Amino acid sequence: MDPTTIEFIGEKCMISIIPNFSSEPLHLIYGSVGPFRAGFPVFVPLWLATHLRKQQKCRIVPPEWMDMDILEEIKEEEKRSKFFTKMPSEHYMVVAQLVMSTAPDDVPRCEELRTVIKDIFDTREAKLRTSIDAFIKGEGTYAKLDNLTLLEIHSVRPILPWSLDHISRYQRVATASQRDTSMLGLNTTVGSSTVPGSSATPASLSNSLYTQ
Amino acid sequence: MSDTETPAELNLSTEPDLAHAVEEEEEEDDDDMEQITAQKVLEILETAWINETNAPELLQHQSDMLELMISQVSHMEEQMRDLDKNDFRAVVHSMELERIRYIMASYLRCRLQKIETFTQYIINQDAAREPDDKRLSPEEAKFAQELSQNVDEYFHKVATQYMPNQQRGEAEQRIITPNLMSHVFLKANVAVPAVIVGVDDEEVDLAPGSQHIIPYQLVADLIQTNKAQLI
Amino acid sequence: MFGDKAFDLLKDLERSSQTIPAFDDDGLRQVLEEIKAIFEENVAQAQSQGQASSYTLLHFRHAALQRNKRCLLAYLYERCRRIKALRWEFGPIIPDDIKQALCEPEIQFFNNYSKSLAAYMRAVGDSQGIDLTSNLRPPKSLYIEVRCIEDYGKFELDDGEVIHLKKNSQHYLPRAQVESLVRQGILQHIS
Repeated sequence: MDPTTIEFIGEKCMISIIPNFSSEPLHLIYGSVGPFRAGFPVFVPLWLATHLRKQQKCRIVPPEWMDMDILEEIKEEEKRSKFFTKMPSEHYMVVAQLVMSTAPDDVPRCEELRTVIKDIFDTREAKLRTSIDAFIKGEGTYAKLDNLTLLEIHSVRPILPWSLDHISRYQRVATASQRDTSMLGLNTTVGSSTVPGSSATPASLSNSLYTQ
Repeated sequence: MSDTETPAELNLSTEPDLAHAVEEEEEEDDDDMEQITAQKVLEILETAWINETNAPELLQHQSDMLELMISQVSHMEEQMRDLDKNDFRAVVHSMELERIRYIMASYLRCRLQKIETFTQYIINQDAAREPDDKRLSPEEAKFAQELSQNVDEYFHKVATQYMPNQQRGEAEQRIITPNLMSHVFLKANVAVPAVIVGVDDEEVDLAPGSQHIIPYQLVADLIQTNKAQLI
Repeated sequence: MFGDKAFDLLKDLERSSQTIPAFDDDGLRQVLEEIKAIFEENVAQAQSQGQASSYTLLHFRHAALQRNKRCLLAYLYERCRRIKALRWEFGPIIPDDIKQALCEPEIQFFNNYSKSLAAYMRAVGDSQGIDLTSNLRPPKSLYIEVRCIEDYGKFELDDGEVIHLKKNSQHYLPRAQVESLVRQGILQHIS
């Protein structure tokens, strides 16, 4: 999945707008939206909100969490915690980026918000890199990834799954060749310590790395 | 397809009737099948699309859902023909239809790609499955057969007919197999107790909404039964 | 040296920057001849009831033969892959300059593939059909934001609205209606 697909999926999020026109409800296949009354807030999918905004048919109401105080707090919490904290939206990056690029005028303190959101993202990415490093070195094959958002998960794709795939391939080969040598009676005591993964406890190792 | 149905917003009735056409068609085919709304069909297809993009192997086909959604899309297009193209509502509907068409096309392309890569493997697997469990839709099965034959013919004409001593096992060695142990990202839809997560049989309980990275094969059945989905 | 030519086939294909390089008829024939020669040597040796000491040689030749086959089939497989890609890029007719690079069985392969794919796309959804060669990217919008690169003057939209395309002015316009101006370089698509 490339970034445009992640954005496409994130665009399904509902967001509040204040239209400057009135209209009957729209019965989309995805679900109904509206009715639209000029001056009254209404929830629509993000893809529709950005379209209407570009046409100057509405103002976007930034989601509650797009607020300096709240985000500063999230940022501090994220720095304090060694785990990933829960984000206010599963697509916080996509939503923030789309709203701020489409309607900077609708977002109070837009530039400051941009910085703090970037900080949060960077903190989480750094944490993600450290965890992955530890996870791979710990020879795990399974891990819990709670509270990571789709974009973040995809920022480590394909490198994380591919590395794990490669490692397990080597492990299989190693195990197989160990079997071969032991059949020849050449194997002595080195086997279990040189064949990685065979006796590790991946789940417990990895669990503690990622979540509380 | 029921031609008498009109999207609610066009005839200004109060009920969102879009789903009715779908329901009626469904009943014709199979009375036992639950009534299903267009929205639900779209959700199922979206999940199938994301699962398919992220799974190493070909998943079960969704012919029924696709058929319903294609009907629904063309039905909507039909209805929109009467609206001014630049009408606000027409634009929004077209935008939504574009999104749906993209999902369907991307989904089917992804399946074709797997069929083209693992042709013989998929054909062989499906041959051993009960009719209701086949992964390939009838159209896909036909496509796969033709492709397999087409490739064999090309190989034969250009090379294999000139190769001495073709051993039987050799054609088998050429079969490309997906790596079912490749790692995937997973989100649990419901609580799933005691999932084996490692080679050493370690078990973990998956909480609803929890996310994991795990070898595909260990959770393939959870995807199939919709207890979890790939992300 | 055994296997060199087969390896060259693959290397050349991989190195080539063309969509698909010309079918290497000569290279292919040489590899096939080598395969045949190796095979015959082995048969001859086996028939002359070789001693146990010559098994190594037999094995070596067999491995070389298998490697040749493998390279050759990999070469053909990769060509298949590229020929299939042609269908998605150019539709059912291969452009002439590319067609010259294909051998007869490859053209046949392309035509069969093209037919299969078309039949498949028509049959989807209980014969309602779907075109898989379009909708390749997630749709961003029916409208796009454009910047005017040069003074163009008045431009009338389908709904009768007239806009002035002045140099450096920015507009949000229906994609379908301004695509040709974008291609001509009068408008630039900005994201």
